[in-house]
Amino acid sequence: MSATTGAAIVGIGRTPYYFRGTSAPQTIYELIGKAVFAALEDAGLSIEDVDGLAFFAAGFDCGTIMEQLGIPELTFSHIVSGYGGGMAAILDLATMGVTTGRAKTVVCIGASQQVGRRLGQVLGNLTATPEMIFHRIAGLAGPGQALALSARRHMHRYGTRREAFGEVVMASRAAAATRDTALRRKSLTLDEYMASPMLADPLCRLDFCLETDGALAFVVTSAERAADLPQEPVHIAAAAQVATRDWGRAFFWLNQPDDAFTTAGAGAVAERLYGLAGIRPKDIDVALIYDHFSPLVIMQLEDYGFCGRGEGGPFVESGAIRLDGALPINPHGGHLSEGYVVGMTHIHEAVEQLRGTAVNQVFGARTALVTGGPAPVPMSAAILRNER
Amino acid sequence: MSARSICPDFASLEVAWDAWSKPFWQAASERTLVMPRCGACGTFRWPVGPFCPECHAQSVEWLPPGQGSIYSFTILPVPGAYPTAAPSWRVPVLVEFADAPGVRLVSVLIDAPLDAIAIGDVVEPDWRPAANAKVPVFRLAVG
Ligand SMILES: [Zn+2]
Repeated sequence: MSATTGAAIVGIGRTPYYFRGTSAPQTIYELIGKAVFAALEDAGLSIEDVDGLAFFAAGFDCGTIMEQLGIPELTFSHIVSGYGGGMAAILDLATMGVTTGRAKTVVCIGASQQVGRRLGQVLGNLTATPEMIFHRIAGLAGPGQALALSARRHMHRYGTRREAFGEVVMASRAAAATRDTALRRKSLTLDEYMASPMLADPLCRLDFCLETDGALAFVVTSAERAADLPQEPVHIAAAAQVATRDWGRAFFWLNQPDDAFTTAGAGAVAERLYGLAGIRPKDIDVALIYDHFSPLVIMQLEDYGFCGRGEGGPFVESGAIRLDGALPINPHGGHLSEGYVVGMTHIHEAVEQLRGTAVNQVFGARTALVTGGPAPVPMSAAILRNER
Repeated sequence: MSARSICPDFASLEVAWDAWSKPFWQAASERTLVMPRCGACGTFRWPVGPFCPECHAQSVEWLPPGQGSIYSFTILPVPGAYPTAAPSWRVPVLVEFADAPGVRLVSVLIDAPLDAIAIGDVVEPDWRPAANAKVPVFRLAVG
């Protein structure tokens, strides 16, 4: 029996997506403001209606947002700790806010601006603490370089092929071809993929997601109140965040037990999420899988139960993740081809799919999965659903 | 002929340690690799911290971890060289040890033929000077 939380997404807004660093001279707060005002307009609400904020550790703060956007009062303001792994947990926070009476209207915010800094080199920017000095010695400057160790181990253990990584990228590019918002729209052949230079063997340049500036915002309120607002509500059927010790700091740690090392760290959150929603993987019509690095898409497909452990490579190579496949994923082109705003574009696409307004609409989509990224805990995910 | 991995220059690297990791670097100064094992229950932990996550004891004994082998690795183009005609390549390597179950050390594999590196290969530590310490790197074992 499927369940729901009693919270719904009633408004979405976003800025254009900019190649990293090119959103200047706008500040990150200007980007956030544009996304928030757009989401409120979409919801038929105003800034005075906002009494809650939810975001995750991403380089901006509540006070400055209130000051610059003119939010009079908040009774709920919470931040998910960690990195992109906690991205989908902003929907969990917003649900908590509106279903417990702490707030009526929670705005979820995600933004990224890489002027003078790069997320792709975030490890290299860190102080070489006693815990991180060996990453410095090794030369692991970014998550993709460290996750290349997982990808190679997955290939070694399960026979996963580069062709599978390539299929994830090609499927993403095929979806992006029709998207005005996408930064990489040109179609891609397997030969072109294979010719792409290695950046962190076995990951080539095309296995790395884009580095993008932009902001997105989502307005969450109770399902009851959503019924009176202009947009078709997209219900938060379930949202979950789970931190497990065997995943821990993930690519900052590299000491995950052997069985965890070749996963995306999402097995526990997947189990909890499906339990909360009362559904199984086969009930998902469209999946928005956090695709910062293509091999991690394959590992997440295993973690979320769309195929068996170690079978993610053959699963994607079968064509299953294409728009006309058994499990369409990332019809917006995802982080690999549309833009990378730390996962937020996936929530945006899930809402458009369930409203029936997506550019690459999955026909009859009723249930969507959104996953947070394989990154330090907490890991998070959400299941969204429409009323059709 | 296969290109070989570089040995990075660590001369300007300031190694940071704390009270818990200091014994590692003291042993390193004598070109000795040791890993920390709980003095109470015998579980290895890495990086070393104030408590054993299994039994919460604080005491640590530092032991030679035994034969190292490659758990995984990647190959990175060295910034500045790529994509010129003569790229050079750095090989981060994650090493597991025969006598230190459950922990892995990440460092760099030096002077290795790039097309011959494989998971499971046996490696040996070597030592390179940093600003305030000697840092462990690894080489493929001979024979
Ligand atoms: Zn112990």
